[in-house]
Amino acid sequence: MSMGRVSRRQFLVRGTGAMAGLITAMLSVPAVGLLLSPLWASTKEIWVTVQGGPIDDIPEGLPTARIAAVPLGFGPPTPAVNRIVYVTKYQGRLYAFCNICSHMQCDVHWEPSLSLFECPCHGGLYAITGRNVGGPPPQPLSQWVHRVYVGADGKHYLQIANRLQEQI
Amino acid sequence: MAAEVPAEPEERGDFNGLVPAPIAGPFRRSWAWFDDRTGITGLLHKGLYEAVPKRGGWAYTLGSATLVVIIVQFFTGIFLLLDYVPSVTQAYGSLLYLRTNDLFGDWIRGIHLWGAYTLMLLIGVHALRTFISASYKKPRELNWISGVMLFFLVLAMAITGAMLPWDQASYWTAVVVTNIPHYLPVIGNGVRTLWRGGNFVGPITLTRTFALHIWVLPALLLGLIGGHLYLLRRHGEFGSWVNYRTTTDDPAKEIAERIRRAEPPYPTRGSEPLYAVPSETVDFFPDQLFKDTVVSLVLVVFIFVMALISGAPLDGPANPATLTYVPTPEWFYLPLDQLLVFFPTELIGFGVFVVVGIGATLMLALPFIDRNPDRHPIRRPDVLVPAFFFIGTVIYLAMLGVNRLYNL
Repeated sequence: MSMGRVSRRQFLVRGTGAMAGLITAMLSVPAVGLLLSPLWASTKEIWVTVQGGPIDDIPEGLPTARIAAVPLGFGPPTPAVNRIVYVTKYQGRLYAFCNICSHMQCDVHWEPSLSLFECPCHGGLYAITGRNVGGPPPQPLSQWVHRVYVGADGKHYLQIANRLQEQI
Repeated sequence: MAAEVPAEPEERGDFNGLVPAPIAGPFRRSWAWFDDRTGITGLLHKGLYEAVPKRGGWAYTLGSATLVVIIVQFFTGIFLLLDYVPSVTQAYGSLLYLRTNDLFGDWIRGIHLWGAYTLMLLIGVHALRTFISASYKKPRELNWISGVMLFFLVLAMAITGAMLPWDQASYWTAVVVTNIPHYLPVIGNGVRTLWRGGNFVGPITLTRTFALHIWVLPALLLGLIGGHLYLLRRHGEFGSWVNYRTTTDDPAKEIAERIRRAEPPYPTRGSEPLYAVPSETVDFFPDQLFKDTVVSLVLVVFIFVMALISGAPLDGPANPATLTYVPTPEWFYLPLDQLLVFFPTELIGFGVFVVVGIGATLMLALPFIDRNPDRHPIRRPDVLVPAFFFIGTVIYLAMLGVNRLYNL
């Protein structure tokens, strides 16, 4: 034959290998696709109003924890999850901090005795502006993407989106 | 021409001379029929009557005890699946139901938790015993390496299992643990996203972790256990230096005599003659198996009692909107958690992956690092001193962690 000198045995060996490879490849394509799909799944942006009423009464210089029911925006449908929004007024600016630590994502709280945000896990500290000032956190406290709107009662309300300003 | 195969198995006497008939009386013929088709008697014989070192048998019970506790984990895990629902909205409720409505439901959960704790300690002691007796030396390098991989797999089982109840402890474990890979260079964020199913911990985090804990890791675990046991039987149990002392003034002759009289699986292929055959051996069954069973029984009783009196905790349901919850790692992750405190901002990735990676690599590579042919611990200070320094550091880190988290 013009095919060269492929013996019967070589044909069987190579054919078995090729077919086994084809079976593996056929199974791998959908499996790997399913495994990796979160990488390109988009998060639907959803805005919610921060609970607890208007933010006009929140005092200057005292971060105040409010709750917002934040939808995940990805994955199978699940109820919105309550999350903390640390509404903070400081030197004329408004911050809407998320209380997720930038180190290991534990639950940060405002510690009045230190006048700092403190993380209970590994002792991370943040200033009132969110700047990381102590412990292992590699970056500042992130804020929720947020906006303020004036309600029908003339008071200011805070809305947040279901994503953070900076990836942590 | 080939001889005719005997049609009636009992004509072959006592089952090819392997063992006395396991069952006398009317079932003897049925057993003989079954044995003829399956070769089960030979298999049982191989499983039970292999030679093991005579001295030090109590120290060599730890591996089989580990296997027994792993079986306890599989057994109780299957029963937990009768109630558990891997869903962020239902997981916690299903365990609450298990606790309040099912007879002994919480006891089963307690056994699974205390089984995990016991397993962790047991693997540690088993590895330590193997290390001190230098059982990992030629030709048993892969016994050690498969054992280290089993240890890592069990750690992974523990961490994925801790994420499933979806109470506060479990939720915050999921948050912190799935966040660790994001410190990997380049692929870090991708790995975290794949595990979580998105940027935040959510429903896909639970189902993916569930799949790991219930199928992926157990399948790997079973495969590796099979390999570990196969290698044990292939090379025979090493024991320790006490099994290889020579007592006559002509050691060479004594060793040659040992090799001549060796019973399977000895002499160990590829071993230097001194360590090829223990000076005295007994059959695995009943001598060693009795000791194994005593230790397993004590451990299973301990697990049952701890499960009954202490049980498995269930915190409040997962709540990301907390300001007061203090996430604390399980005790066996305290050393790693304490490392996280020490590594400053710029070195987190280094601390998490390079330091831990070096530790893991050193453990895996031990048989190739320690090339000293001596087996007696006194004559191996070059590995024992660094190893005890390493173990001491791990314990010290754990103590610092306890001190930091619980203010003792």
